[in-house]
Amino acid sequence: MSASTQTPKRSPGSVTWARRRNAVAQFWREFVQHRAGLTGLIFLIAIGLIAALAPIIAPSHLLDVTQLLDQPKFAPPSLEHPLGTDHQGRQLWVRMVWGAQVSLMVGVAATLMSMLIGTLVGIAAGHFTGWVGGLLMRIIDFFLVLPSLILAIVLSAVLSRGVLTIIIAIGVTSWAGTARVVRSQTLTVESRDYIARARALGAGHWHIIIKHLLPGVMPLVLANTTLTVGAAIIAESTLSFLGLGDATQQSWGTILKNAMDISAATSGYWWYVVIPGLAIVLVVLAFTLMGRAVESILNPTLRSR
Amino acid sequence: MPGLTFEDVSITYSTSGRNDRGEVHAVKNVSLTLPEGGTLGIAGESGSGKSTLAMSVLRLLPKNAKITGRVAVGDTDISDLSFGQMRALRWAEASIIFQGAMHSLNPVQTVGAQITEALALHVTDKWKTAQLRQDRVKELLTLVDMPADKTASYPHELSGGQKQRVMIAMALACEPDIIIADEPTTALDVIVQKQILDMIAKLVSERGISMLMISHDLSVLATACDQIAIMRYGEVIEVGDAREVCLNPKEEYSQKLAAAFPVIGDTESRMRPVTRHGDQPEDAEAKIDFADDGPKREVLLEADKLNVTYTSSGFKVRAVKDVDLTLHRGEIIALVGQSGSGKSTLARALLALQDTDGGEVRFAGEKLPAGGRELKAFRKKAQLVFQDPSAALNPKLSVYESIAEGLRIHRYQGDEAEAVAQALTDAELTPPERYFGAIPQELSGGQRQRVVIAGALALGPELLIADEPVASLDASVRGEILGLLLKLRKKLGLGALVITHDLGLAWNIADSVAVMFRGEIVEQGPTEEVLMNPQHEYTQQLLDSAPSIRAGAA
Repeated sequence: MSASTQTPKRSPGSVTWARRRNAVAQFWREFVQHRAGLTGLIFLIAIGLIAALAPIIAPSHLLDVTQLLDQPKFAPPSLEHPLGTDHQGRQLWVRMVWGAQVSLMVGVAATLMSMLIGTLVGIAAGHFTGWVGGLLMRIIDFFLVLPSLILAIVLSAVLSRGVLTIIIAIGVTSWAGTARVVRSQTLTVESRDYIARARALGAGHWHIIIKHLLPGVMPLVLANTTLTVGAAIIAESTLSFLGLGDATQQSWGTILKNAMDISAATSGYWWYVVIPGLAIVLVVLAFTLMGRAVESILNPTLRSR
Repeated sequence: MPGLTFEDVSITYSTSGRNDRGEVHAVKNVSLTLPEGGTLGIAGESGSGKSTLAMSVLRLLPKNAKITGRVAVGDTDISDLSFGQMRALRWAEASIIFQGAMHSLNPVQTVGAQITEALALHVTDKWKTAQLRQDRVKELLTLVDMPADKTASYPHELSGGQKQRVMIAMALACEPDIIIADEPTTALDVIVQKQILDMIAKLVSERGISMLMISHDLSVLATACDQIAIMRYGEVIEVGDAREVCLNPKEEYSQKLAAAFPVIGDTESRMRPVTRHGDQPEDAEAKIDFADDGPKREVLLEADKLNVTYTSSGFKVRAVKDVDLTLHRGEIIALVGQSGSGKSTLARALLALQDTDGGEVRFAGEKLPAGGRELKAFRKKAQLVFQDPSAALNPKLSVYESIAEGLRIHRYQGDEAEAVAQALTDAELTPPERYFGAIPQELSGGQRQRVVIAGALALGPELLIADEPVASLDASVRGEILGLLLKLRKKLGLGALVITHDLGLAWNIADSVAVMFRGEIVEQGPTEEVLMNPQHEYTQQLLDSAPSIRAGAA
């Protein structure tokens, strides 16, 4: 290789990595262009920080009812009680800060679980033709037609109560849609000639799935992830609201449940209902905005629409 | 009947977004005249701006296109027309036969309804009522040699050739004065292509319609047009009488385009595809060397009474019937046939990518393994090259990764980077380091096909099966890829089976030709014998249908 004396020799690996770094930088540059997506991201980082720093911002003794006997109950928002207090005299903002922890954790963890199952099953259903694929499709269909809320309720009722149960309940019931989308994308990629080429080169299933199919469906999965987080947070609130969460843990859904138990809405304690409700809407909105931005960058056909 | 005039036309696309290329000058200062009742062909490679120019006539360009200069239908400058006037002109005065009939027809409407649409939009005295329009549709279908009862058919029920006929009937519907045919026969096989071209030529001359035809294939234009213009990078570089342009081209580029499609029987082009580098003597040498060690050749691949049957919705379709084929080491066989003749299925069966029923394939004397380690070892020795290199490369992987893929699958023990560099050098992509990091999108079509070939070469194969390796490439690249195949045969002793519908290609590079018709090999033998003295009726038909520059211009 005499030519290599003139051209600076770079190892192929470093070329590949430089290209990937470039792609990420390019992605970031385009993401910054999306105002709404960026706003969503900044908002989420802020909420994430607040949730992580909850023990410092709002020490846990502020939630201890036995130490709050002298506090007024149902105090409306004021300088002294920024977001008002609840039926036990606890400051609502303290509960909201602690609740953010559970809501975000459940949202993200349940989504990861759902994406993992959905991607694996979807790729397998698309790649393996014949009875394996057929069987997987029937399983997907089964989970698709199952009323997911009822399944989640049954699951959380059967398993012990707690955050983990809620994560499993949401994760197990929400992957079917993702699997369908991933399967259809897998079928598209599968029909490309480069899969046939890999096969002619002697590649096995594992190689084709890891090297070609997974990178091919990844953009879709990523875009789907951010959109599913929102749904998972709502599902968590719903389950907590229905009293299936851990009663000793703060979560936005639990706050809403407490509010309903003492009929806050009809008694004029509007802050008790509006604040957790608004928080859920804003976080879900932020995730959705971010998801749309990611989707429009990764899927060029959506551009300029 | 008005003609068509382009006066100093320039068309610029302004681009934006991720691949911002700024202003793209698709067409530069083009002046052309299509006289009344005349036929003008525009030849050029992809990206030469020929389609852009044609679409400008009916103002069908996207919004980001800017036209300067004058495009006139008869005496009317089309930029002076209001939207309504433009609509009246579209189809009634000038109509288009679109490229790719498969995609230009609406799949959920019957073809009758689609032809009626044009009639209903441009009602004249001749087809005032729905009944008259029905009659007109039937009349049009008869005109393009289709049974009138096909009006009730949906596009998917028709063959490629029939769909193209429907497109032509549609273009003729409102009795236009000008027809623009944008690659009307691309993607059709030779026999259908000839039928369509003959029909267009007949209709145009009978009705005195002026026609502007666009094609990348000079020989197609030579058959159908009086005048030919050659475009390159948006500019017209040569224009003149069809015979003159084809047989005595003045510009070097036109000469190359004209020479790219060989004349069968012309000894000069035998084993000498036209390449850009002009190093044909080496290939001629290859031929001589090869002839010398002819007798010692050992059999590399052998098919014995091979059968492939598909089952589609209960029906059994025999795609390959009792095929016998023998390929020697270092031999190039061209497998020729129409689309649907089972060529590609046979190729896949030979590579054990397709289940067979009955018969067997032997590689170097051994029966093809059914699976496991032996099959993997076979995959290393036999490689496939695809028709469309852009689809055969994963767009997300760099050239290096694509080529190393095979090496990694087979756990190559040596220096991977060196093997990849060697494969790239063999495929004439030098210096190889320059291509390591490139992704397919950054390469030209010819370079992509070289990458696919390099990926096959990296494993040191003994057999190469190429499925229409140049069908999706431009004329000037075609010769280079064919030359590369010849050189590889000489250098590495590769045996190759080249599948094609193009007899010129067989004449260019193949030692022997096998003609396939409805799943059977009907004629097989040395290239000169088969092409110069065809025995089977079907081979003769194929040969007659191949468009030729000389035949057309004569």
